[in-house]
Amino acid sequence: MTLQDLIATLSSYWASRGCLIHQPLDLEIGAGTMHPETFLRVLGPSPWRVAYVQPSRRPADGRFGENPNRLFKHHQFQVILKPAPDRSQQLYLESLEACGIDCGAHDVRFEEDNWESPTLGAWGIGWQVMLDGQEITQFTYFQQAGGQVLSPISTEITYGLERIAMQLQRVDNVFDLEWAPGVKYGAVRQQEEVEQSKYVFGQVDQPPGEFATFHRELFDRYHAFATTLLESRLVLPALDYCLKCSHVFNVLDASSGVGVTERTAYILRVRQLAVAIARAYSGVSTEDDADD
Amino acid sequence: MTRGDSGSGGELLIEIGCEEMPAGWLPRLTRDLARHLQQRLTEARVAASAPSACSTARRLVVTAEGVAAGQEDLEELVTGPPVSAGYKPDGTPTKAAAGFARKHGVEVAALVEVDTPKGRYLAHQRHEAGLPTIEVLPAVLAATLRDLTFPKQMQWDAQLDDGKGELPFGRPIRWLVFLLDGRIVPFTIGRTSAAEGADVAVVEASNVTFGHRFLGPGAGEPVTVHSIADHRAALAERYVVLDRAARLEKIRSALVARAEECGGAVDLASPTLAALVEEVPDLVEFPMVVAGGFDEAFLELPGEVLARTMIHHQHFFPVAARQNGLAPSFLAVTNTAPENAERVSRNAERVLAARLRDARFFWEADRKVPLELRFERLATVLFHKRLGSYREKSDRMEELAGWIARDVLGRDDARADARSAARLAKADLATEMVGEFAELQGVMGGIYAREQQLPEPVWQAIYHHYLPVSPEPTAAPAKADLGAGAVTWAAVALADKLDTIVGLFCAGERPTGSRDPFGLRRQAHGVFRILIDLPELTGVTARTSCSELLDAAARPFEAWRTDAQLSEAVVAFMLERLQYVLEQRGHDIRNIRAVTGAAGAAVRPLEARWKLEVLPEFTESSDFKQLAVAFKRVRNIACELSDADHEAAEAAGPDLGTVLTEDAERELVKEIEARQPVIDEVMASSQDFRLGFAEAAKFGPAVDRFFTDVFVMVDDPVVRTARLRLMKRLERLILQLGDISEIVADPEG
Repeated sequence: MTLQDLIATLSSYWASRGCLIHQPLDLEIGAGTMHPETFLRVLGPSPWRVAYVQPSRRPADGRFGENPNRLFKHHQFQVILKPAPDRSQQLYLESLEACGIDCGAHDVRFEEDNWESPTLGAWGIGWQVMLDGQEITQFTYFQQAGGQVLSPISTEITYGLERIAMQLQRVDNVFDLEWAPGVKYGAVRQQEEVEQSKYVFGQVDQPPGEFATFHRELFDRYHAFATTLLESRLVLPALDYCLKCSHVFNVLDASSGVGVTERTAYILRVRQLAVAIARAYSGVSTEDDADD
Repeated sequence: MTRGDSGSGGELLIEIGCEEMPAGWLPRLTRDLARHLQQRLTEARVAASAPSACSTARRLVVTAEGVAAGQEDLEELVTGPPVSAGYKPDGTPTKAAAGFARKHGVEVAALVEVDTPKGRYLAHQRHEAGLPTIEVLPAVLAATLRDLTFPKQMQWDAQLDDGKGELPFGRPIRWLVFLLDGRIVPFTIGRTSAAEGADVAVVEASNVTFGHRFLGPGAGEPVTVHSIADHRAALAERYVVLDRAARLEKIRSALVARAEECGGAVDLASPTLAALVEEVPDLVEFPMVVAGGFDEAFLELPGEVLARTMIHHQHFFPVAARQNGLAPSFLAVTNTAPENAERVSRNAERVLAARLRDARFFWEADRKVPLELRFERLATVLFHKRLGSYREKSDRMEELAGWIARDVLGRDDARADARSAARLAKADLATEMVGEFAELQGVMGGIYAREQQLPEPVWQAIYHHYLPVSPEPTAAPAKADLGAGAVTWAAVALADKLDTIVGLFCAGERPTGSRDPFGLRRQAHGVFRILIDLPELTGVTARTSCSELLDAAARPFEAWRTDAQLSEAVVAFMLERLQYVLEQRGHDIRNIRAVTGAAGAAVRPLEARWKLEVLPEFTESSDFKQLAVAFKRVRNIACELSDADHEAAEAAGPDLGTVLTEDAERELVKEIEARQPVIDEVMASSQDFRLGFAEAAKFGPAVDRFFTDVFVMVDDPVVRTARLRLMKRLERLILQLGDISEIVADPEG
């Protein structure tokens, strides 16, 4: 099964289970969880079912296209089921069967792995799903997002598409994956991996120090503007700018421009934004009460 | 009681079917389940045999036999108002008596009178007939579910109608078998209104269970059960080994057999594998061990890295080669059927190969940068916000370790190596490998130092400096592990731990109650394990005191000098930990207090250990007990003379022989003069504390006679001071050995 077949199969499977098939957030982000279709939709009482692919950028994992398992950017297939169905695990396992994985012929296990995102003020309880020793999915029952206790609970299923495709195609190097018939993953993405890795590790023609300075300034400006947007009650644009902060911080962190204490401070600043955005979205802030 | 003994049987079966509970929680959770059910049955007045519980990741099962068909009746005497307040002078009941009777639904005439320590009272003999057990079991289960606690609990939109609302749990509950003698006990786990909908349903108690998730023809299909035996048999047929001991045994024997087939062996008792072998039975319902291999080229990686990659990331067991080192093989405990072994093994091999390629990437990248350069990067790695970076900690450790090597361990020749090792000890925190495998900290630094051709004492000290992590005499490392680095290691390990303890206290991070986020207690246990076992660990006999070490460790910290309470708190903390460690080694707490209490910060842990090893030979002898009692009096009286006054009087006052005239006191002076040199010699050499205690025990009769014949606190100040000086001399002499008066104390005191 090619990578694009895998995406098509999962999309069609989850569409038939009542999910709206959404599109990726068109910004640089580290995980499908940050997409407003997850981060904001899990707040509050309204039921929601959605699935989408999210290209996810992890600057620190960039390996210049040389490492067979690590990527600057990988692809997640993200599913949100709210409220969490009793059959969440079965629905997930049936999706694997739909992809051609016979669970009875393999060793499929749910091993404890609780998920937490300090920058989003979010955490959940769950597992990493192991297929013959390979982690292929993060399966989480969301407990909090944006610092808010959630009710109802949502199921979040995050498939690692490259990992699953590598298992299905039995290849050891991600760049050897077949993306489409006759087209390798490397042909589609290797140059991007090389150049993006060079960028995030600061291999840029400019005097030393300017890389970090530029990104620090970007962070501050994005952060200030996110606050302005939030004050203007433009919650979704504010989230965009919050996510830009998060990504710029990840680039700074990967290029070693951030000390440990400073690191904590950056994370806290993004988190405070995320919490304020979540509050504004679900209308729980005291400011809102006063306006109403 | 078995089923055959009674008409009704009394067999209770509860199975809480849940999504995969974390393996590490199951052993405790299983015990708790049985214990709480027993408590709740007792509270509900339902007689039953002790419940027994077992579990897999997907089910918590508890059973009890001989469960009574009904609750025991309740007989209870409820006391009301005093008789004196119950009747008016004319004999008619007061409001108090009438109200009490009404409350219990009886006439005043039906009340009884009882004698209590407070006088004669009206009372009501309450009788409540027991209900059928099946009617009280729902409340028993509700309370039992609430009793269970989890290291981290979750909400899953569930609630009970027990008035307590939401039911958080470890993982969602998906089915519930609840049977009393085959009859379903009505019980419902409700769902919160927030989650209502077609895909969220209540969990109703039933007689339906499920087997293994994937194995067998009817995998995932419900199966009806009517009894404990039925349930066991149904699960056994459906690829669920319910008994943990059976899973463990199956795994152990398969691991050993597969390892032999690979041409190697697994040592399941080794510290690296012991924890894993205890974890895997709780990850699987149907254990099956598969073997796999990897490219021999990976064997160039350090064995520590290979083992960690397999154990930490994959829960795989490394296989030891017949000669030495590792074989290019691994064993995996899986949850699948034997016919899948080949497929699962090939896939596992591919996953492991990817991991090992990653590890090799780190190994190669890390070795390109000398540790000295990594050390510079520690400036950006924070140790604690008030104590600065690891770079600053390393600087402090370097000073302290050098001082310990030369001035405490008396090994000037080890000083330079101790300094280099301490300086580089934390450098591996900036390596890729430790970024990936945090638990290889220290070990990787040691290996990289060895690769860089640093001297053996240096790399060994770095490698082992986080050890020991527990106080037992058998805790790693052993002297043989340390090679030429034993003394250097002791200096670096002590410096690291002491700096952490003193530093974090100065930063306001002292442990309280069960909260010890920085693991300072463990650090202190490590310090004492080293000090107490120093001769065995390093061949060096150094009797350093706590205060000496703490003062040296505290030199860089301003707060230590300005805040006297701080040093008191650290000393109290350390003494408590020392006493704990000694108690763990089986010494009597009274003896421990005797040899550690009086000395305070000046206590020398190694001496304390030596004293404790011989003290029990004396504590039961009558001479020694006599001295212990008398010494309590000595101490009580000696405190009438301050240390300063005593020293002034000893320096300038009259010779005791000219002032003291009573026979008993002159005899005691002579006793002290005779025994002092022996005890002083024992203390100076710390060779033979047996001789010291034997000598002290001889004081008994003379001290006793002194207290019989002599009154210390006479009016004449010259005589009084002389007698107090005598007491003080005796006190000081014996306190060198220990506060013998502790030995008569009650052990609980």
